[in-house]
Amino acid sequence: MNWMAKTRSSAPASAGVASAKPGPASSGNLPATLRVSNGLKEFLWLISDVRHGRILDLGPVWQSTVSFFVDKGYRVSAEDLLRTWKDFLTAEEEHLRTAPIAEDNEKISPSLLTDKFLETALQYPEQSFHGVLAWDLLDYFDPVVVPILMKRLSSILHPGGAVLALFHSRPVERFQRYRIVDSQTVELLSAPTIAVHAHVFQNREILSLFDQFRSSKTFVGRDQVREGLFLK
Amino acid sequence: MWDKKNEAKPSSQAAEVPAPIVSTPAPEPVTAAPAARVTSKISSGLKIHGDVFGDSDLYVDGEVQGKIRLANSRVTVGPSGRVQAEMEAREIIIDGSVQGDLKASDNVHLGPSSRVVGSVLTPRIAIDDGARLRGKVETVPANPSRESSVAGDAPDSQNLRPVSAGAKAE
Repeated sequence: MNWMAKTRSSAPASAGVASAKPGPASSGNLPATLRVSNGLKEFLWLISDVRHGRILDLGPVWQSTVSFFVDKGYRVSAEDLLRTWKDFLTAEEEHLRTAPIAEDNEKISPSLLTDKFLETALQYPEQSFHGVLAWDLLDYFDPVVVPILMKRLSSILHPGGAVLALFHSRPVERFQRYRIVDSQTVELLSAPTIAVHAHVFQNREILSLFDQFRSSKTFVGRDQVREGLFLK
Repeated sequence: MWDKKNEAKPSSQAAEVPAPIVSTPAPEPVTAAPAARVTSKISSGLKIHGDVFGDSDLYVDGEVQGKIRLANSRVTVGPSGRVQAEMEAREIIIDGSVQGDLKASDNVHLGPSSRVVGSVLTPRIAIDDGARLRGKVETVPANPSRESSVAGDAPDSQNLRPVSAGAKAE
């Protein structure tokens, strides 16, 4: 995949929710739950060269998202990372509560917890995926945890693979999930809060998170959500 | 062990189970299935350790650990069902909890209360909102000869090689 070549020749319009591209890329008439995503559009464009590519969706599994990719010839894996993390933390708390005190000599730290979490989560062979949909989940993890997750994400991504991630520029009031409607629209679905918004990443922090990637692009929408597209 | 006779007249073992026997679920539309199929049930409170194979449809609202191979049949895991097994069937409907790979020659339906950890390999998949899946979804071309698509002991990977929907085998 040649990101730079594509970028030079026919990259989608730069930033903003309402794309300069003709057609339905404008968000003007969309219901509030729908969001035009230039990041998604470019994500799809970047992975379009891959035949029978593999996609990892780190959000909940949705029929529309699975069908969208399957219909295009991709294979989809789903792992609701945030829910898995929450379930893991709940189990750990339960274990700590019931374990004999003598077993608790080991100090609990976020990084240790994350290492333990990754013994069962994101268990895929290296370079398994050509695209990862991270949505906004990185906002919900402790900033100490995120770089560890990023290292794993990077390892399971194929060289030339892309990550789509969203970052809120202010604390999130409502917990939402995302699913793909079409090639440039995602639907925002209110969901029971399973995690609180942990951190607002500044642009510099975002770029630092993805410093193992060879290229990155961000789009800021009218809703102040920054979409990041990162190419390994 | 869990055939129709036992359903009609619960055994003493089943009678000891406090949970009620689950009634037959509302029939789902079955495509290309024989008109009168027998549905065997593993009711809530029953636990099966081992392989389940045969020709009848199966409804699981209890617990199964092992393998379920019902190549030409429908397997339904009810809301109370907990399965730790690889499942092969013509049609798989999940409303409960499954840990294991699902392989269907016709379709897989993940209901709103389904919890699946494992891969799904099927020509068609339906996922209801609320379903939880941790694993991969791979679609394969529908096999016109369902009788042999997932049956038998011989490896059937030729028929179920992971390919993209609507595409030729890789």
